Amino acid sequence: MKESCPRFSKLLERYFDQEVTDEERSLVENHLQGCPSCQEGLKAMEGLRYLMKAPVDEADPKENFYWVWQKIERAIQQEDKLTWKESIKRWIDLTPILRKRVWVPAAAAIVILLLIITPYFYKKTPSSSEPSVVEYVESQTHNVMVYESEKGDVTVIWLLEGPAKEGGSQS
Amino acid sequence: MEYDETELISRCQKGDQGAFKEIFDRYHKKVYRVAYGVLRQRENALDIVQEVFIKLFRSIKNFKGESRFSTYLYRMAMNTAIDHIRKTGKPFVSSLDGEEAIEPPEEPEKRPDRIFLYKELEGKVNEALRRIPADQRTAIVLREVEGLSYQEIGEAMGTSVGTVMSRLHYGRRRMQELLKDYVHQETLK
Repeated sequence: MKESCPRFSKLLERYFDQEVTDEERSLVENHLQGCPSCQEGLKAMEGLRYLMKAPVDEADPKENFYWVWQKIERAIQQEDKLTWKESIKRWIDLTPILRKRVWVPAAAAIVILLLIITPYFYKKTPSSSEPSVVEYVESQTHNVMVYESEKGDVTVIWLLEGPAKEGGSQS
Repeated sequence: MEYDETELISRCQKGDQGAFKEIFDRYHKKVYRVAYGVLRQRENALDIVQEVFIKLFRSIKNFKGESRFSTYLYRMAMNTAIDHIRKTGKPFVSSLDGEEAIEPPEEPEKRPDRIFLYKELEGKVNEALRRIPADQRTAIVLREVEGLSYQEIGEAMGTSVGTVMSRLHYGRRRMQELLKDYVHQETLK
């Protein structure tokens, strides 16, 4: 870029883009009269704009957009006939984050995590309220059954007097 | 009968294809100019117009009117053109080789040497645009080709006016360095 005066460099660019106040415009115009460097800077910006814009201005009126519309019309009329698979594909195409495929590693990470944690949900939790038989002793007069919880903090002892009468004590 | 833009958009959002045609009639040249500004090749620019309006038809329901419709469309056009560059890997076809290169202005004269010079310049502009970052390229095209204000460019790019000014400044500086042999030529004007 042609170096204009450092003090006026950015102001000159805003002046060129017509983004200045009336006061700033007067300031730049007064400065330009006596500054060949800024005059050159302004010409360089005009030259670049011409290079960028002139070919577009030239091409635009020559184009026939009728056939472009016809193609668009055909495409949008087919929108209603899309299968669900095509609809999902279109939706993905319109969604930048999905189009970039960043979701693939994220989905893989979620699946792996689920595989790791799922067994914990299905693991049978031992119940401390369900005692297990530890010992069962039979005799002619009495039968004794001893239950003890897995943690060992509760013990139930049943003393059975014959087949019809039952009694128990718990410690 | 010319409809109000808001009403047109509302009708489009309800699936009215007649309203969508009117949107196309109003905006297709803007989209074309932006696409041409980025790609510097007319066939590709026409493809972008087609792609942008098909995308617009699918996505117009998501337009909530938080920004101007024109800036919404500019953003879509710029993104589609830049995506095209990424996908093809051949962003700029040199106009020197392309059959689709535009003809130079017929006036004041149409001498072969001028035609050659004009096409050569287009090739140089393409090369220069390829060498600057996409965000600077976007800002320059929206400003130099479409003449948008800093505010409008900021809306289209989703950034502040200060950032737009910075992108324009550095983009122009780089482009002028790359095109230093051409920016002062008066012969083509």
